Parts: sequence; structure tokens; C-alpha cells
Amino acid sequence: MILIIGGAYQGKLDYAKAQYQLSPSDILDCAQLPPDATPTLNQRCIYHYEAYLELCMKQGVEPRTTFEADQIVIIEDVSCGVVPMDAHLRAWREVCGKIASALARQADSVVRIFCGLPLALKTASKDSTI
Amino acid sequence: MKVFISGGCKNGKSSFAERAAQQLQADGKLYYIATMIPCDQEDHNRITRHRQARAGKGFITLEQPTQVHHVLEQSDYANGTYLLDSVTALMLNEMYPMNASQPDAEAPKRICHDLSQLMAKAKNVVLVSDYIYADEGHYPAYTEDYRRALAMVDRHLAAECDTVVEVTACQTIYYKGEKI
Repeated sequence: MILIIGGAYQGKLDYAKAQYQLSPSDILDCAQLPPDATPTLNQRCIYHYEAYLELCMKQGVEPRTTFEADQIVIIEDVSCGVVPMDAHLRAWREVCGKIASALARQADSVVRIFCGLPLALKTASKDSTI
Repeated sequence: MKVFISGGCKNGKSSFAERAAQQLQADGKLYYIATMIPCDQEDHNRITRHRQARAGKGFITLEQPTQVHHVLEQSDYANGTYLLDSVTALMLNEMYPMNASQPDAEAPKRICHDLSQLMAKAKNVVLVSDYIYADEGHYPAYTEDYRRALAMVDRHLAAECDTVVEVTACQTIYYKGEKI
């Protein structure tokens, strides 16, 4: 699995589309799912995985956290602000951090997108996972 | 050379940017594009303090809180080095003009255009922005629109610049181009 992380609006999906020749049907945008959706995440590219985690928490179901070798998971980094006042957002933010770390361990490569530019954090030859 | 710098607050972006501009300067003039619109005495005091600090480092201050390409008319651009700190403040001035009831939706496009024009003519440009994209979000639309717009401008500038660098804890992470 390939994990793409980065802040909001940094060009994560544009990078994935260009790098892996994705067609619209390859992409599941979890931010667009209705509140009662129960996605299986079998698409090639899972976009806004953090929104999927929010959905699972609201529904009280376990999220899918393992992926196939050819899948691309895109998660927004929501970890760097002030601790949210809202208890649900606080819990969600922590879940996002923990699961992103678990995905990074599992991933064959991890790429961070910054202002539209990629930085390889983990590759086949460089794994500095803590 | 055109340099784009971003990162979190109080991580050393401005110091790094000043140093980068001084290094690039060579025998040309060094300009600081001041973007702040003072609102009270505290702002005026801050501006005076910053002006004094910069004068010692060889910067000529150009007041240009909006329409930034107009600095070209007040300076020797062909051989000049310009420091703009920050794109964030420029965006605020352009997007939310004083006394306007609505944000100016055209502001991001205009800033991209103005800064591209500056970069095309000036010898060296160092741009500083702020990385405000990695918190939990859920902002009101007013704030989210600003955040999205700044990100679009950042990406445009990062694509056009020769060097793109993130500054964190006074350390540099290069995403593109020659190191400074």
C-alpha cells in the first residue's frame, strides 16, 4: 500500500492521479459519503481516509485499516493544531494520528505532499519508521 | 533565483528568509516588501522596530500592502533582490479589503498574477508563507475560504519557484531546487 499524507489543499490527490494514472472510478472520496454509508474501501485510491474514520466513529463501527499492495490511501494531516474543545473532534484527531502511524508501518512507501511537491518519507530502501 | 519558504509560526522562517535574501543579493539592491497595514499604535511601534532591525541588514523598505507588482516601479528590479514576508498578510489585505462587506473572491488569482509578474522581472525573489493546513479544520466557511485560497496561491508559487523549502524548528527541508 502507498500512503500519501499532508495538510489540507496541498495537492495530495493531484499527485496520486499524476503518479498512478488514476481514473475517476478508481477514487473513493470519503468526504462525499452520506452519514449512513458502509463503504468497503475496495477502490484503488481511498481519498480523505480521515473523513472515513470520522464516519466510522459516528456509526460506532471498526474502520478498515489493512489494504492491498496496489492500493493508495490518502489521509489529511489534522494533528498540528490546538487540542479541539469538542470531545468528538478530540477523539477523532487522536484516532487519525494513531491509524496514520499504523498505516505508515504497513505501507511500502509513504509520501508527504507540501505545497504540491512530494517528499518521500519511506521507500523500499529507506525505512526510518519509529 | 526565486525561493518559496513556508512552515509553522515561530520556526525561523523570517530569519532564514532574510539570510537567503542577503546571500542572493550579490551587487544588487536588497528590498523588503512591507505588507502590514497598521491599525493602532501597537502596530506602528512594531513597524518602527522592524524597520530599524532591517535597516542594519541593508534592506530598503517598500510599503506595498496590496498590488505587490507595483514595487517594480519603485526599484531597480533587474538587479534587485526582493523579500516578501508574508504571502499570508498580502492575501489578508487583498481578500478582505478595509470596509468591504464581502471577501474578494478574485484575490487569489490576482496575487498569483502579481507575484508571477514580480518573479518574471526581478533577479531574486524570496517569498514567505505560512503552513496553516495541518490542524483539525472544521472552520467556519469564512476562515476555510481563506485557508483554501492561501493554499492555492502557495502551490502556484511553489510550482514557479526554483527552490521550495519548509522551515521547522530552524531546520530546513528542501522539496525542490538548489540549497541555500
